Amino acid sequence: MAMPATDNSAGKMGAATEGARARDRLALLTADNAAVPLPASVQATAAILLAALLIALPWLGLGYRFLSIAITTIYTAIGLYGLGLQFGQAGIMSVGHAALMGVGAYASAILSVQLGLGFWTSLPFAMALSAIVGGVIGLPTLRVGGQHYIIITFCFCALFVIVLTNGGTFTGSATGLDVGSVTPLPGVNFDKLSNNYYLVLAALFLALAATYLIGISRYGRTLRAIRENEQLARSVGINVDLHKLGVLMVSGLFAGLAGVLQLYYLRHISPTLFGAFPSLYLALMVMLGGARYLYGPLIGAVVVNFLPEVLNLDPVDSRIAYGVCLLLVILLLPGGVSAGIKNIYCALTGGPETQTQGGGSDGRA
Amino acid sequence: MDIFVQQLVNSLSVASVTILIGIGITLIFGLAGIVNFAHGEFLMIGGMATWFMVGAGMNFFVALVFAGLLVGALGFAAERCLFRFTLNRPMNGFIMSIGLSVILQHAVIRVFNEFQKSITDPVGLVWTIGGVDIIAMRAIVVAITAVIVAITYFGISRSRYGMALRASVSDRDTAELMGIPVRRYVTGVFIYGSLLAGIGGALMISLFPITPFTGSVIIIRGFAVSLIGGLGNVGGAVVGGLVLGLVDGLSAGYGYPEWTDAYSLVVMILILVLRPQGLLGGTLGPKAS
Repeated sequence: MAMPATDNSAGKMGAATEGARARDRLALLTADNAAVPLPASVQATAAILLAALLIALPWLGLGYRFLSIAITTIYTAIGLYGLGLQFGQAGIMSVGHAALMGVGAYASAILSVQLGLGFWTSLPFAMALSAIVGGVIGLPTLRVGGQHYIIITFCFCALFVIVLTNGGTFTGSATGLDVGSVTPLPGVNFDKLSNNYYLVLAALFLALAATYLIGISRYGRTLRAIRENEQLARSVGINVDLHKLGVLMVSGLFAGLAGVLQLYYLRHISPTLFGAFPSLYLALMVMLGGARYLYGPLIGAVVVNFLPEVLNLDPVDSRIAYGVCLLLVILLLPGGVSAGIKNIYCALTGGPETQTQGGGSDGRA
Repeated sequence: MDIFVQQLVNSLSVASVTILIGIGITLIFGLAGIVNFAHGEFLMIGGMATWFMVGAGMNFFVALVFAGLLVGALGFAAERCLFRFTLNRPMNGFIMSIGLSVILQHAVIRVFNEFQKSITDPVGLVWTIGGVDIIAMRAIVVAITAVIVAITYFGISRSRYGMALRASVSDRDTAELMGIPVRRYVTGVFIYGSLLAGIGGALMISLFPITPFTGSVIIIRGFAVSLIGGLGNVGGAVVGGLVLGLVDGLSAGYGYPEWTDAYSLVVMILILVLRPQGLLGGTLGPKAS
């Protein structure tokens, strides 16, 4: 169920040269600890069950409102997979991620308003622009670490909203921009809510597959090596700078996709959708769900989007509840809800012990 | 000239609040090693408490002291219940403080409401000095801030406690070996910074109306001030606050008021990227991670 976590404890080292020692240690750091991932059969079952549930959702008769929240949840989750990748794998946290989604959404909306490009044609441009902006905002990570970078992302986010608000008719100022509906494919009209749902769902499956593949690939292991010990990774010849910018650009791609989906679901965007609060909620969701787990971002998005609905909270109470959840998760369950679920599962089945590392929510301890 | 002096006092009084929150952040971030994003909410709560007490008929200056003590107690509670557990993982503490800021902001909305609150000018005098009209309250705000800055500056740079505190920042283990109770100092700094936020909030509401969302706006300015000056550097925070106040005043006077908020953000990004230790030098923050 989980992404293969890395082993934090650098084990015994033989009497070898410094370089060989470093390599040994890196191998231990980045090794896919065989004891940690759940058996392949369990993972496959979970994936199939989840996919079946998500595909069947519109036919369960849960109503229009439920499906709307589901769409919101899913496009948020797509953005979160980008954040999960940069934070969970490479250890670079951002509290300005909504702005990156906003770059995608606004790029697509401006292309639609100015040049008349539709959903499908503007999507690649919007994603590419988000990726580029992601990389550019990422440039400071090469110089400053951890908290300083978080503050920079927060500033970027606030700055983005100010620029949009002062952008005149080009960005629609405070009222924002409107777009038409998604260009229909032959036989599929995306004005129908369930079809829009499947469009968003398909994108979610893409994001999940990409996250899974990155997680098990050599690239994912390299990112985790950088997260665990940047200097060590550098010393064994990993191009840390390039990989950091790379993962931020990949994260930007996800954010752009999510932003365009959001735009064409809402049909109207305004600067406040991409400001500080939405960004903080994205950070909250990814921490809540567990950034290092494959289903973590999705679980985080589901909890945060559906909890107020289930508990019937008004906006003020639900925000207080979010805050309390965040405090509890960080103090009690640093690996997020996913780690909790996995631990419970393992305790019930007597399966492999999860190593909930203290660093579960912290990239740069 | 008269108008210039008036403007100067006005700008100084606005900068005073910024300096108070900046000093709080610079101490807590730079010396205690905690990034407290809820610090702006602490200030807002100080203002709200003052509004409530003045509304109940209390003298403003008594209310100011109580607001400071209340927010200091709030800081004590937050440090003991939350930040204590994340001292070795500053990033977790940072994320947690974001949660705390959301909770406090909406708790205030729940208790009162989201509309802006203001009090009448507690002194209500206008002094005429050399032909210049000065609103007395503004001058008093500047004076209170100056006293607090002086106490803090000498406390950190000259006193025995300040020396112990700086020792525990530069080398925590050694400081502990020398018998300095580092954890108690961290708690103390956190309480002191929170107290300043409470007083800052009380002074702020004597100048302008505040809303429950004031905190999340002013926190950015607070971080900008402390990062411009260099973390842990009280003098730097004062300079930072004055610079930012001046930039704001100029931008408001020379035609781009809608970009006012953007300047502090741009300045902060540039400083963080080009000179992470601040213009006047300071610590790099917790563990310089």
